[in-house]
Amino acid sequence: MKNLSTWIILGLTLTFLIGPFIIIILAGASAGESLAFPPDGLSLKWYLKVFTIESFRDSFMLSMFLAIFGTLAALLLGIPAAYALNRYNLPGDETIRTIVAAPIIVPGIIVGLALLRYLVVPLDFTVTMALFMAHTALVLPYAVRVVSSSLNNLRADMEEAAVLLGCTRFQAFVKVVLPNIRGGVLAAFILGFVTSFNQVPVSLFLSGPGVKTLPIDMLAYMEITYDPSVAALSALLAFMSLAIVFVAERLLGFSRYV
Amino acid sequence: MKSTLSIAVIACAVAGTAMAEDKTLTISVYSFAQDAYKEALYDPFEELCGCDLVIETGNSVERMAKIEANADDPVIDMAVISSHDALSLSRKDLIAPLDLSQLSNHAKLYPAAQDPIGGNMAVGYTFYASSIVYRTDLVEIGSWADLLGEKVAGRVSLPNITGTQGPLTLMMLAKASGNDTGDYSSVISDIGKHADDIVTFYSRSSELAQLMNQEEVIAAPVGRFAWSRFKSSPLPFAWAEPAEGQAGGMNVMIMTKGNGNEELAYQFMNYWLSTEVQTRVAEALIDSPANTEVVVSQEVADNLTYGAELINSLNILDPAEIIDNREAWVEQWNTEVIK
Amino acid sequence: MFLNTREGLALALPAAIFALLLFLVPVGILLSEAFQTDTGWSLRGYVDFFSKPLNQTVFFRTLKLGVLVAGTAAVIGYAAAFCIVNLNPSARGRVFGLVVLPLMISPVARTYAWIVILGRTGIVNDTITGLGLSETPIRLLFTETAVFLGLLQLFMPLMIISLVSAMENIPRDVIPAARVLGANWLQVFFKVILPLTKEGLVVGGTLVFTGALTAYITPAILGGSKVLMLETLLYQRVNVANDFVSASVIAMILIVMSFSANLLLKHIATARK
Repeated sequence: MKNLSTWIILGLTLTFLIGPFIIIILAGASAGESLAFPPDGLSLKWYLKVFTIESFRDSFMLSMFLAIFGTLAALLLGIPAAYALNRYNLPGDETIRTIVAAPIIVPGIIVGLALLRYLVVPLDFTVTMALFMAHTALVLPYAVRVVSSSLNNLRADMEEAAVLLGCTRFQAFVKVVLPNIRGGVLAAFILGFVTSFNQVPVSLFLSGPGVKTLPIDMLAYMEITYDPSVAALSALLAFMSLAIVFVAERLLGFSRYV
Repeated sequence: MKSTLSIAVIACAVAGTAMAEDKTLTISVYSFAQDAYKEALYDPFEELCGCDLVIETGNSVERMAKIEANADDPVIDMAVISSHDALSLSRKDLIAPLDLSQLSNHAKLYPAAQDPIGGNMAVGYTFYASSIVYRTDLVEIGSWADLLGEKVAGRVSLPNITGTQGPLTLMMLAKASGNDTGDYSSVISDIGKHADDIVTFYSRSSELAQLMNQEEVIAAPVGRFAWSRFKSSPLPFAWAEPAEGQAGGMNVMIMTKGNGNEELAYQFMNYWLSTEVQTRVAEALIDSPANTEVVVSQEVADNLTYGAELINSLNILDPAEIIDNREAWVEQWNTEVIK
Repeated sequence: MFLNTREGLALALPAAIFALLLFLVPVGILLSEAFQTDTGWSLRGYVDFFSKPLNQTVFFRTLKLGVLVAGTAAVIGYAAAFCIVNLNPSARGRVFGLVVLPLMISPVARTYAWIVILGRTGIVNDTITGLGLSETPIRLLFTETAVFLGLLQLFMPLMIISLVSAMENIPRDVIPAARVLGANWLQVFFKVILPLTKEGLVVGGTLVFTGALTAYITPAILGGSKVLMLETLLYQRVNVANDFVSASVIAMILIVMSFSANLLLKHIATARK
């Protein structure tokens, strides 16, 4: 009896959470001309059409670029910061922590608008630069938090020992600390990648001629038509994210870090 | 995978800068039918001028905001927008008067398109009628007043006041109620009273098409340029010919002020206004021609806003009236309709 | 703990300076904009904003939907998290994976699906009319219900994840012990589970509430102009009217709302012993 109610609760919750995704996959496989569920017959034509839409290719590349390099930049800034916040007794470390975590608290649409008004327009930053910085800032809190928690689990005496044995502090970090937190770093990378790739509000105001992130381009496409190709593209992207997470999970047990 | 990707991204970035050194024209256009435009207009022009077109798309409000934001150093060289948006840009001193000697095709345009907002600040390149699309199997539409009537209650959509179609609907609803004062506040109040009967105030015709295709909405005012979306549907849609007539509007071309790329922009504008391109665009059923020399078949004409007789019969709202009153309309709309 | 402060600062400051200069400063200027008028600093931007009935409606609607979404997510989240924690380890991993899955999917896709689901001829209405609950289909799109459902689906995983990790820390025997001692399930929940998981509730509640406040796509697509929320209003004010004062006011409201939600939840969590 108890088992039954457990599965009813979980079944309903999961239907609510996953159902729309399944509908999108099927709506994208429609043979008809408009978005509908159940679809009017099945065909892969919309899945194929996605690849022929030129602007999707450009915006996919831009989103990939932002997600990969923005996250790498955030890690380059975030790993040393997390290390310093964990291992050193810094004056004002709470302030630093708050500043670094701020991008997660400020609503994305405001960030996009602020960067457009005060960086792009007066300082001649390109939209791509502004997007890159916004995405880096957005991922930074995750990078610091996730790396911090894996540093917490790593005892500081290991590095001390390495230093006593003749390593410089930097060597100790590269040879001892980094290998031990690589799971956390990878988890931070994936979390950052997915966050950046799916980000909408930040990019809403940050678009220019020929420069649009993929989610914004999908919205722009919906201004032209609601045909099932956006559904097909959404499904393809979801599979891509899932594949990345799945591989990471297999390799490193990624979910431990989330 | 990652390394090939980053190489590809770098390659893109390099290609991007290389392109910028060639001749480039940045244009800002409505987002619909881009594939068809590419074939009928963009590709042939790129071949003709040996230059690259960079195309920014979006609805006119967003594109206007961007032209305004980049006023000091225009990113956009030329844009096509509604006549009242052009007037608004003109009043803000963001666009330059056109040098008609650069536009040899100008004389071929319908008189109404030649100088629609005065001072040669814009030229019209297309007219559109605006009427009501409805489901013939579910309802009969004979008047604009039917939009607020009992038979479509709960299944009607109106265009949002902030878009181009919104004011046209106000004008026609006023006409239907015998109000010819040009003061639409009573119309807005009327819409407010029926707000619960209106599914949504749409802002994109693509959204409306989806709603009508999934039977959410059975009647709504829409521009003729969107008619092809409905015509191709398996559902029985019709274009109403209401007793008060059809509303109409015009889209125009403008030149941003001080863009430094005027020569290429004129070349593009003139090409777009040519009989050759206007005919091709008309035959692709994208835009109705503003060029009087364009001749199309009856079948094509049925899909467009075509011919002097029809164009002269349209109820056209003065752009100045829209600009001068819009703020008050939006204010009243926000208080009484979507509060 | 290392003592070389200068070295530590050299490591931590690049990140802090980046976030400060390229992030907090522009946002700060934006927030200050509503306080600046021709005659100096004033609160007029705020007074004007709140004097408009539409803005008041949108403000209260956003607050209401945020609270409703967070509250509903908490109720369902507790039930689901409790079930997940009590599964055997392999099933638990799989179910947890399914809960996390929606977070990996673009919000554009997730919202888009609801247009079809909630339509007149969609699954929900087919079910309602099929069961005879209503003779004619119910209008769901462009209502607060639609926005509520969309937001709930979008953010509930965050609540479940937070609550699952909180519940994992409840010692195994506590609940059976309480039951043996005669507590009913309601008492078990309020006296045992809630106090032991309140941190998870605070984290989850803040994430869901803030997420619901600042989502753009869901209210834009499912609510449209009839169900404006602060985020869609902000976009509209900027893009339709170039009204940066209202944008700045809304930005401040959103930030204050998220912060207060977090503080309030923390306060409730510590007050309830």
